[in-house]
Amino acid sequence: MSGETILEAKGIYKSFSGVPVLQDVRFEVKRGEVHALMGENGAGKSTLIKIITGVYSKDDGQIYWEGQPVEINSYQDCQKLGVACIYQELSVIPPLTVAQNVYLGREPRKGMFIDYKKMNQMTQELIDKYDFPLKPETVVDHLGIGQRQLIEILKGLSQNSKLLIMDEPTASLSGKEAESLFRIINTLRSEGVSIIYISHRLEEVYMLSDRLTILRDGKNAAVLEKKDIIPAKVIETMIGKVVDESAGSKKQLHSEPGAEVRLDVRGLTDKSDRFRNISFQVHRGEILGLGGLIGAGRTEVVRAIYGVDKAASGEVWLDGKKLDPSPKNSILEGIGFVPEDRRGQGFIPLLSTTKNVALTNYDIVKTNKVFGPAGDLATAISDSDELAMSKRAIEAIDIRPADPEKRVGDMSGGNAQKVVLGKWLMRDLKLLIVDEPTAGIDVGAKDEIYQILENLAKQGVAVIVVTSDLQELLRVSHRILVMRKGDIVREFKNEVVTQSRILSAGQGVAEEEAVEEAAEIEKAEEGSV
Amino acid sequence: MKQTTLRRLISLALLAALVILFTVLSGSRFLNANNFIDIVRDASVTAIIGVGVTMAIITAGIDLSTGSIMAVVGMTMANIYAYTLWPIPFMILCGVLVGLGCGLVNGYVIGKLHVPEFIGTLATMSIFRALTYMIAIRDENGVIQSQPMNISSYAVLGYAVGYFYFVVIAMIVFVVCGQIFLKYTRLGTEIYAVGANPKAATLSGINVAKVKMIVYTIIGFCCSVGAVFTTARLQSATTAVGQDFEFNPIAAAVVGGVALSGGSGDVIGTLIGALFMVTLENGVRKLEMNTAYQYVIKGVIIILVVMFDAWYKGRMDRIAREQGAKEGVSA
Repeated sequence: MSGETILEAKGIYKSFSGVPVLQDVRFEVKRGEVHALMGENGAGKSTLIKIITGVYSKDDGQIYWEGQPVEINSYQDCQKLGVACIYQELSVIPPLTVAQNVYLGREPRKGMFIDYKKMNQMTQELIDKYDFPLKPETVVDHLGIGQRQLIEILKGLSQNSKLLIMDEPTASLSGKEAESLFRIINTLRSEGVSIIYISHRLEEVYMLSDRLTILRDGKNAAVLEKKDIIPAKVIETMIGKVVDESAGSKKQLHSEPGAEVRLDVRGLTDKSDRFRNISFQVHRGEILGLGGLIGAGRTEVVRAIYGVDKAASGEVWLDGKKLDPSPKNSILEGIGFVPEDRRGQGFIPLLSTTKNVALTNYDIVKTNKVFGPAGDLATAISDSDELAMSKRAIEAIDIRPADPEKRVGDMSGGNAQKVVLGKWLMRDLKLLIVDEPTAGIDVGAKDEIYQILENLAKQGVAVIVVTSDLQELLRVSHRILVMRKGDIVREFKNEVVTQSRILSAGQGVAEEEAVEEAAEIEKAEEGSV
Repeated sequence: MKQTTLRRLISLALLAALVILFTVLSGSRFLNANNFIDIVRDASVTAIIGVGVTMAIITAGIDLSTGSIMAVVGMTMANIYAYTLWPIPFMILCGVLVGLGCGLVNGYVIGKLHVPEFIGTLATMSIFRALTYMIAIRDENGVIQSQPMNISSYAVLGYAVGYFYFVVIAMIVFVVCGQIFLKYTRLGTEIYAVGANPKAATLSGINVAKVKMIVYTIIGFCCSVGAVFTTARLQSATTAVGQDFEFNPIAAAVVGGVALSGGSGDVIGTLIGALFMVTLENGVRKLEMNTAYQYVIKGVIIILVVMFDAWYKGRMDRIAREQGAKEGVSA
């Protein structure tokens, strides 16, 4: 069914204040294909999409829609052509119903008033056609993120969209939600809808896409057909250098026996039952991976350990000392916390690197004098001390730009995350908790962040990594705990562990089946590579 | 149970609790037909203006200038009354036009000039009040006079037909029309959309600035109708009309379940809230308590209600998230 070209962009140029972002980029989507678009952060993916959707104007080049040259000057223009963008930040309206969302601004009317009966009926027809698990009258407030995303897709389809653009659609979905989405993407493809699929998650791209366009530094790096989409090759093309192959789907875990216990969590139980009776230990120099689906209670557990949320019962011991968890106590005891929502909780976007680093560390900025006289001034905040500290952080982990006065909100995701990590590196850490440390960060920066975590472990810090990215979990962990519905259901240590075993544990599939499945997947993978 | 249904029951329960409380405390002095008619009458102007203010709060906005718009409308009519021989309906029309103009100014400042609602209407609150003083009726020494407006063809608006005061009838019309407008017209849906997610609204082709301008103009209209009935009841216009009034419709909306974060609530809720506020005032008066208490109680109730709403919303959002993650989208 895929055949003729539906969208073609040729010779696209774009620069921002003299800096070229796209140079002679060509991009082509055929009818009924899933076309993945990949590239590191800053490769120009978003810019290209924004030009196609009329958010930015191009400097040069031409876009063709179904063979005809078109000018797209606003999102409305591109909607009229039949292109719909499923946004990363969901753009549904929670207090309205599914049908109201789908037909927002285009409601069928009887005289002055909205014809709800007709609207619900039209929505139901669409839902039936594409087999979506939704009901027209449900208020969106009551729906999960996955279902909200489907509403946006439905909205695009209701406008007879022929091309859907999905930007990181699985970024905040649980495994199950993502699976449903993949099923729907396949249905859409068989209905002749084209999809541009942008994702950092390589395994999704391999699984879904018919073709793949890779951008690097604002230029076309490659267009690959399905048979040519080989993981190592894709990564190599994206970042222009060969990365460690072992960052794959299988790993031999090694925990060092006998290392002393740093963190000891005993029977931690949540007030609102998001987790119960959680007990585990983390050793000196160990990276403990905490896996499981989103909503399994992982984030809630680490938040309780750090003391952002109070647990109903249970104890947290660090180096043989019982803690009274609260962020302030935790900081003083040597616990660092890198939260999941980087922009919202990790740093203050409007403040500079210096201020962000200093904010957590004012207790040591005061006493730990690098410059300046002692005496009365010792308790005052010294600008030069702050600056010295942030310079040390910048140097220690290569934060770019290396400008201490740069606002963190203006930095790329990877560097902002380094600032968040950097402020903890300035302290005498015993335990570092990182929650989804590389979400939305490009491959190169991911590796740097893993190295930072590994170096910390080597220095004797205990590290807890919460992540939904299975590759990442395998890549960094010395030992893995899997949570499911608020309980720790499985521990993997000193054994060969695969992505599918972890996934199975997280979803509650019996271990035997999981092992079989893992074997099958391994076979299949060997066959395909 | 749906979130909105539960919230409606809570505001009704609050109102019922208050009625029961005052009945127990002051018996038939509070619990009698005439007093209830008074309560509804007193709540009417708040509810009429509350219809508009509800819409503003649904767009995640607010209007602090309502009292000042009432004053400037009242004073416009007083000038026409004092210095011309124009017929009364024409005088009212002029007042309404001035009110619409004030609302349009608010809408322009907020929608087109992108001044945040709170500070924009705080500024116009001051400006409209000042305009009232500038056009106030003065005696030969320049001292501001209260202008009597007791001609029967106007003062009749302060009276009743049977049990129903005209202002109550107007209030019912406003509430019914407002509710239908919000729930059954495109513009009504757009008001919710703008408040809940302005970005998504824009992407759906909704002109956010235009929606806001229309909402604040509607408030201007509501205020002018409120001013017509208020001056008719007082049979005079003064510069003090609507002083400190802006608190009432906002408080009514909040108690009635209109979330200050935008996107939810409706006009019926605000009516319940307005009745609650007036019942509270009335009851405190019947108990012959110091009236200062009523302000304390009002304030505390608003804080509690907003706290509850925030807590409840957080809980619902979490449940939805967890449900979604657990079940996938195959629910």
